[in-house]
Amino acid sequence: MVSDRAVKVWRWIAAAHEGDGPVSVAAVCNAAALRLGVDGASVTAMSGMHAGEPLFASDELSALLEELQFTTGEGPGADEFTLGSPVLIPDLESAAARWPGFVPEAVAAGAQAMFALPLQAGAIRVGVLSLYRALPGPLSAGELADVLVFADIALQLLLDASAGISGSPGYRPLSGLSDRRAVVYQATGMISVQLGVSLGEALARLRAHAFAGSAALGDVAGDVVDRRLRFDPAADADA
Amino acid sequence: MLRAGSRTGDVAAVPGGSAERYPGTMAAIVDERLAQTFVELADTLVGGFDLMEFLHMLTERCVELLEVDAAGLLLADARGTLQLVAASTEQARVVELFQIQNDEGPCLDSYRTGQPVIVPDIADGQATARWPKFAPAAHEMGFAAVHAIPMRLRDQVIGTLNLFGSAPDGLDPAVARAARALVDIATIGILQERASREQGIVAGQLQVALNSRVIIEQAKGILAERLHVTPDHAFLILRDYSRNNNRPLTQLAGDVIAGTSGIIPARQASPRPPGDHPARR
Repeated sequence: MVSDRAVKVWRWIAAAHEGDGPVSVAAVCNAAALRLGVDGASVTAMSGMHAGEPLFASDELSALLEELQFTTGEGPGADEFTLGSPVLIPDLESAAARWPGFVPEAVAAGAQAMFALPLQAGAIRVGVLSLYRALPGPLSAGELADVLVFADIALQLLLDASAGISGSPGYRPLSGLSDRRAVVYQATGMISVQLGVSLGEALARLRAHAFAGSAALGDVAGDVVDRRLRFDPAADADA
Repeated sequence: MLRAGSRTGDVAAVPGGSAERYPGTMAAIVDERLAQTFVELADTLVGGFDLMEFLHMLTERCVELLEVDAAGLLLADARGTLQLVAASTEQARVVELFQIQNDEGPCLDSYRTGQPVIVPDIADGQATARWPKFAPAAHEMGFAAVHAIPMRLRDQVIGTLNLFGSAPDGLDPAVARAARALVDIATIGILQERASREQGIVAGQLQVALNSRVIIEQAKGILAERLHVTPDHAFLILRDYSRNNNRPLTQLAGDVIAGTSGIIPARQASPRPPGDHPARR
């Protein structure tokens, strides 16, 4: 179920992890900057309908680009991502008409190419992963395939950080937790009603439950859908 | 350009191929599957027409029926820029995004010219000269052949359906005809939907393209829990409501998630206290 590419990208992220704390989006950004032929990477969390809260930037220019996008409301990372696709701008100057407030300042600051990927699963949207290059140039097919995996892992790390499991010993977002079958999303919807929480929090709780029991995400989700397992707000310790 | 014969040989009337040895049987099976697909696609055109569901289904059926390894679908947005709407595999997704990023590739050419672009061997000199970025990228993602079919009605081109093969191969005439027919029904469906909304609705139609399936699953779970039914049953409720109220399924699913769908009676719309639930397993 886990692709070779996902295993490779996780190794990169684990290798970029520093210190004793949980693996976080900081490791994702640093690994992306190192491995994807880009000069910097950053992750912002959603605040309301737009990505706004900076979580980590691998360098000063990445942080500046996030700030510029936030203040102008323009740029690849400020896109609403209504289609769910990444916004890939290999030559930033060519997009000057699209983002007249953002592009001149970004180019003047030293960014010539930008790539932004929504961190989302259906109606769950937790943030945006952004990359920049100091020189114009597209991502290669391999880099593009890799960056989609980076975004996927960043999404899982943010969900698992919110549930408090990403700092646990033996935590790996790929082992048993990367199931994408329909049953996982159905269970997410059911749990959100059972607990009266958002879909994002429901998915985080489902993942935490699977991790705590060393069970596969899809198996736990199957138990929820078949009504063998119920998340009870009264017994909050259950997840 | 078009080479008769497909890899498994069960569609084409290839001399000496299985289709010739069992012509009646295979043709009948293919026709039957194609006919079923038309019924299925037509079924999605009534009532709350859901473009996303329709296009995802089209992409999946193309892979099943047309003996290709992957399919992708690009649709033009309000600015005339192609957007990825559906991809049957991760590799197809990468190749489609790569073409959009670089503004180069057979799928874009097909959209711009309104003509099919048939590339039996991506590695041959002609293809690599024409698409110097796309050709190596497609190869890296495991594809050796690509066929782009425009979604066109008269002089209006709205997107392309793209078929990918992992081995060099042409597009068999019988498969090409079937692909054309599938694309035509999709195109007419989309244009009819646009006409009925009386405005350039492309942007609205394209909402949540790649997420629509997941959004529908999440909404099924919410409905299943609220109405105490299975997710399968919840889907039937969702679909019936969509048709009876003429609301696209994906949009309705989004409303279910937002709590504004109107499917659930008001007294059930808020989470009930735990003690209020009837005894359940």
